[in-house]
This record gives sequence, C-alpha cells and structure tokens, in this order.
Amino acid sequence: MADKEEKDSMVQASTNPLSRKLNKILETRLDNDKEMLEALKALSTFFTENNLRSRRNLRSDIEKRSLAINEEFLGAFQAVKEQLDSVYSDVQAMNECCLDMTDRLKAAKAKTHHLISQTTSLHNESQKLQVKEQVANAFLEKFQLKSDEIKILRGTRDGALHSEFFKALSRVKQIHSDCKFLLRTNHQTAGLEIMESMALHQESAYERLYRWTQNQCRQVTQDTPDVSLLLCQAMEALQDRPVLLKYSLDEFGKARRSAVVRGFIDALTRGGPGGTPRPIELHSHDPLRYVGDMLAWLHQASASEKEYLQSLLKNCTASNVQMDEVLGNITEGVCTPFKVRVEQVLVSEQDPVTLYKLDNLLKFYHHTIGQIISSEAALLTVVSEIQDLSHRMFFNSLTSHANKLLDKVELPPPDLGPTSSLTQTLQLLRDVLACHDASVVPIDDKKQDYKQILACVIDPLLQMCSMSASRLTTVDMAAYMVNCIHLMNTTLSLYEFTDTRLEMLYAQTDAHLDTLVSEQASYVLNRVGLAQMYGFIQQHRPDQGPLSSLSGLDELAIRAAMNKFDSFLAQPDSLLLPQCSLILSSSVRESAKKRSVELVCQAYKQIYASILDPVNGYKDGINIVPRTPEQVVHLLM
Amino acid sequence: MAAGPYNYSYIFKYIIIGDMGVGKSCLLHQFTEKKFMADCPHTIGVEFGTRIIEVASQKIKLQIWDTAGQERFRAVTRSYYRGAAGALMVYDITRRSTYNHLSSWLTDARNLTNPNTVIFLIGNKCDLDAQRDVTYEEAKQFAEENGLMFLECSAKTGENVEDAFLDTAKKIYQNIQDGSLDLNAAESGVQHKPATPRNPINTDQPPNKEGCAC
Repeated sequence: MADKEEKDSMVQASTNPLSRKLNKILETRLDNDKEMLEALKALSTFFTENNLRSRRNLRSDIEKRSLAINEEFLGAFQAVKEQLDSVYSDVQAMNECCLDMTDRLKAAKAKTHHLISQTTSLHNESQKLQVKEQVANAFLEKFQLKSDEIKILRGTRDGALHSEFFKALSRVKQIHSDCKFLLRTNHQTAGLEIMESMALHQESAYERLYRWTQNQCRQVTQDTPDVSLLLCQAMEALQDRPVLLKYSLDEFGKARRSAVVRGFIDALTRGGPGGTPRPIELHSHDPLRYVGDMLAWLHQASASEKEYLQSLLKNCTASNVQMDEVLGNITEGVCTPFKVRVEQVLVSEQDPVTLYKLDNLLKFYHHTIGQIISSEAALLTVVSEIQDLSHRMFFNSLTSHANKLLDKVELPPPDLGPTSSLTQTLQLLRDVLACHDASVVPIDDKKQDYKQILACVIDPLLQMCSMSASRLTTVDMAAYMVNCIHLMNTTLSLYEFTDTRLEMLYAQTDAHLDTLVSEQASYVLNRVGLAQMYGFIQQHRPDQGPLSSLSGLDELAIRAAMNKFDSFLAQPDSLLLPQCSLILSSSVRESAKKRSVELVCQAYKQIYASILDPVNGYKDGINIVPRTPEQVVHLLM
Repeated sequence: MAAGPYNYSYIFKYIIIGDMGVGKSCLLHQFTEKKFMADCPHTIGVEFGTRIIEVASQKIKLQIWDTAGQERFRAVTRSYYRGAAGALMVYDITRRSTYNHLSSWLTDARNLTNPNTVIFLIGNKCDLDAQRDVTYEEAKQFAEENGLMFLECSAKTGENVEDAFLDTAKKIYQNIQDGSLDLNAAESGVQHKPATPRNPINTDQPPNKEGCAC
C-alpha cells in the first residue's frame, strides 16, 4: 500500500524533484535488491495487519525490535567476553607456568653440564678400553694357547694322538717364532715370558710326540706295514728335532728289519699258501734257482721297503743319505741268513760252469739291488762279498781243473789229434764262455773276466800239450801241436775279447807249421837226392872252382837226381810226410803243403840257375835240368 | 691335510711276462704314466712300477714287476713269479711266434705261482690291425681253453690297457671276497692293510710278531 502511494506520488512529480524521486523509486527493481527483499521478508513476519495503527506504530515496532535484537546481541557477546576472559587468564597461567619451567630447565641444564662432560669423557674412556680389550684379545689369540689346545698338547692318559695335536703343535711353534717380533718391540718381557712358556709346551709336546711315534714305529712289523697318515705327520713334525726323528727312524728300521727277516725265513721255509709257490729252500739242490730266488726275493723286499719308507717320509725333506741309512738298517737283518746259505752253496759246488753262472747272477743282482739301496748298505756289501767269493771259487775250480790236467798228462793219440782231456777242457771253456754270453753283466767286467778265464785255461792247456808232446819226434810234435793249438784257436775265435790270445796262438801254430814245412821240404829233397847238392850249391864259393868239378855234383849224379825229381813231379803226394796228412784242419794242411812246395821250388830254382850258369862248367846244362823252375812250380802247385 | 697317495687297503703284486719286444714295459708305462714310450730300451732283468687303483671303492695298490723278455734273463725272471697275485701274459698280435710261445709262458706261470694267481692274456699292439698275425677269435679260444682272462690292448693308444690291469684286480678282489684267496698265507701276492687305524693304546707287539729268525 505504501508502495502504491509512493508510486502515485512519484508519477505526479516526474518533472520536479519529487517526480525525479518517484522515477528513481519506480526504476528501482525490487526483485534484484536482496537486502530489501530480506528486510521486507523480515518485516512481513511481524507486520501482519495492515492498518493505520499498525502503520503508525511500525517505526516504533521496528525500533523496538531493533533494540531487542541489540540487547540480545549484548547478552550474547557478554557471554563471549566472559569466556574469552577466562581463556585469557588460562593462557596467562600457562605462560607463567612455561616461564617457570624454562627457568627451571635452565637451572637444571646449568646443573647437568658438568655431569654430561663427565659422561662423555667416561664414554671415550670406555671406547678406548674396548679397543685395548680387542688388542689384548687379539694378542692373547695370537700369543696364548687356548685351553683345549693345551689339553690336546698334554694329551690323554693313554698317550693317543689326534690330528689336532699337530695343529696345536704348529701353533706353539708359530707363537714361539712370533715372539721374536715381540722381542724387537718394547714388549720384551712379555715376549720372553711367552717364549719361555711356549718352549716348555713345545718340549713336552715333542717328548710326547716322540714317545707316540716310537711306539707306533715299533708296531710296523707286519708284512706290509700300515703307514698311517698320523705317523707321516708325526715324522714331518719331528723334523724339527733331528735327533728324535733319527731315533724314531731307527725304531722303524728295527721293526721293519725283523719283519723282513721273518718274511725271508717264511719264503725260504714255508712258501706260499698250500705250499705254492714252494718254499725257496726246496730248490736248494739247484744252486742257480736257489740263489736266484733268494736274490729276487731280496730285490723285491728292498723295493717294497723303500716304498714304505718313502711313504713314511713323504712329508719330510729327509735327505737321501738318511733314507739310505734306514734302508740299509732294514735290509741288514737278512744278510746273515742269506750269506750263510749262499756260502754253503758256493763251497759245496764244484762245477766251474755253475760257479760262473752264480758269479754272474750275483753280479747282476749286485747291480740290480744297488739301484734301490745305497752301496754302503750291509746287504749290498754282503752280496758283493759273496760275489767275490763266488768269483774266487770259480777261478779256484778252473785252476784246479787245469792243475789236474797237468798232473795227469795224457799221451798223444796215434793220429796226433787232440787228447780227450783237451777237447773236454775246451768244451768246459765253451760252456763257461757261453754262460757269460747269456749273462747280464756290463761289458767291462766281461773283458776282464775273459782275460782271466783264458789265462786260467789256455796257458795250462798249452803247457799240457807241450808236456804230452815232449816224447814225440819233431815232426810228430809239430803236427800234434798244430792240431791242438788249432783246436783252441777255432774254439776261441767264436768269442769276443780273444784277439790277443788268438794272435798268440796263431803265432804258435805258425812256428810249429814252419817246422813241419821245412821237415817236409827237406824230406822231399832228401828222397830225390837233391838235398846234398842243394847244400853244396848253397855253400859253394867261386874260388872253389866250377861246381861240376866237385864230387857228387857231376853231371851223372845230377841227372840221376833229376830223374828221381821228375818221378816226384809226376806223383807229388808219394813223398808227403804222414804227419802232414794228419793235420786235422784242411786249410792248415793245404797251407803246409803249399809252403813246403814253395820251399822245394825255391831250392830247385837255385839248383837250376847254378847248373845253367856257365861259370860252373856244365856242358849240356839245358839237358841236365830239362824243366824250368816255372814248369816245376806249375806242376807242383 | 690332503690324503696322501699311500692310503690303500690292499697291495696286489703283478708280474708281466711274455716274449721279447711284445711291449710289456710299454704296457706298464702306459698304465702307470698314461704315456706311450716310443723307443723303450730292453728291460734288464726286472723293473717295477706302482699305481693305486680303486675296486669296489677299496683303494688298492698295484705293485707291478715287469720282466725282461730276453731268453738270457729267463732264469732271473723266473724268481719273480713267486707270490704274484696276478700275471699278465703278453703277446704281440702282429708276430705269431710270440703267440706260439704262450704255452711255455703259461707253464712257467702255472708252475711258479700259486693256484689262485689270476692269469690275464693280453694281445698287445692291436692298433696295428693291418699287420695282424693272430686273430682275436683264435686267442680268445686259447684263453677260454686255459681259463685265462683275455683282452687285446694297445700300449700305444692306451686302448684297453686300464681294463686289463683293472679286470685282473677285480678278479683278485673277487677271489678275496669269495674266500678262495687266503690273505693270511704268506706270498699270496696280496697284502691287506687294515683300514681302521690300530688302537694306539695297544703297545703290545702284534700277535704275528715272531722273534728274529736269523
């Protein structure tokens, strides 16, 4: 209603301020004015009755409401203010409290400062101590034995040894040597003390180790010793105490020595299971086999023992000398039983061939066993001694054989061939030399032996032949000696190292052959009657006048001799000495024949030349000696 | 500490026999060194070699005696048959004569070893098949007739060499297991070493200790 009034008034006063105001009001868009809308809405809540009175009272109503609202505000803010006041007082109190606490903290901090620094220093100290502790522990770790190590070193009551023992022992050793570093620093006292205690530990440990090793070594008496790993380690450890090592090795040697002796005696007397292989002594009737078996057994045993010893000392740097010594000890025990048996064989053996074979066998084994054990070892010495003995026995036997030949000299047989004792002896020589051929010894020895053997056999043989030929005629002797020596020659020529001997024998054959040849030639010349003439012609000197004037050299005599010579030429064999045909070797026989013919031809040539020489006064020289020397040579050769 | 090469339970003794030049020493060399020895000198007398093998997870040490084949050494080598647990009898497949001599070698082996000795026939040089003079079948038959084990080997190439030595050892080991080989008898060619270490407390002499018999 009021709006309508206002509008009306506005329209009326459109040109005057009032109308302007009205226009302005009319132009107002109430829809868009939210405040106005809110105000109007609020107004509509209590302005329910549009009447005059209420219109008159509107302003006061509004004012009243405004007052009431403000009073309400006041009430509400009053509460808020009170609340805020209380908060303020609370905060105030808190602030005070905080200040108080800060003060107290400050005081407390001032008070604890000393404590903290003390703590820090203590802490540092504790760290240092910890480091020291570590160092000390490390030191102890390095320089002290642990209790169980000490226990191991002291050992159990039964004396048993474990592999830890060696670890502990090497630690003791390590510590002991490490102490030397300590001694170089300023921890000398500690170093000395530790060293001393370690030395004590070491001594007792070595003592124990030695006892144990000695015990173990005493037990290696089986055929095949059980060389345990522990024992090897023990030997290795004992290297630091050479004396103890030596004693232990001696003990080992002793045990093995008796084992070897036992084994040897078993092999000699018991043989294998059920008697196969048969005991060696069962073959004692066969010297070669008996001695050979024994030597082979010893060879094998030596090789095995060397292996055991090597296995025992495999961790050690033991010198070869030491090994050889122990091995020598081990093999020493069998020396006596072996020596006794072989000596028995040698002394009772007569046959030079067997003795020689034994000699070679011993030589061979001396060499073979010598490759395993040192030459100073008793066993090798014994083998060498026995071999010497066998060598002597062999030559004794050969010499006695030769002596027998000379004691009872056989007469040469009618055919002037070699005597049976000669052929037998040469057969023996062949056998001896043959077994040398089959033997196994080095060449040098062989040469020396051959020389000795030949001297032992051939010289007495030659002597024997000369003795047996002593009662023969020159020609018989020559033929007999040629036969004998030639037989020796052919026997020897098959063997080595006989050159000088052969040369000597050839020379002797030649000497005897010369005798035979000249005998044969003079026999021919004698029989044809030229011998005397030849003698004269050779001795003739020109001052004696012409040859023809000498008695026995006249034409007639010469013609007669030439006739006989002619018939000889027709049948040269008719005047052959029987001894020449008794020469056994055809080549020697031929050479004898050839050389005697040569002599005859030479004589004829000289006679021929003399007769044809006009100085000698033969008138019809060419007719006296119708044959030229060339023809004679041609006929006889 | 590393186990040394000496820890073994048994020692078997072998002997190698056969004619000269059949390759006995080469077989041994091939077996012990695993190498072929091209120009092997004649053996003088006897030589010996060792090697440790394993049979049925038992370590066994073979002690092998290699003999000279030359006739002049026959007397010497005969002494080495004694106490061999195994005999390897070798011939050369390219030389019939070496095969023909086997019966004489076999006679020696039978007479001079113990009845349990395992005899193994080896036809060596099987790499030279082109020059073969003895057939496999023939030798096989010979081996069967005489109850021998048999293989053809080559010391040059190493073929079957291990097998020959190992099979022999297996057979010997089997004999031990059977109880046909008496270990306690002397010269069985087998020596047993107790695997467990003896009790060190026992300082008494072992029972088999006899007095020095010399």
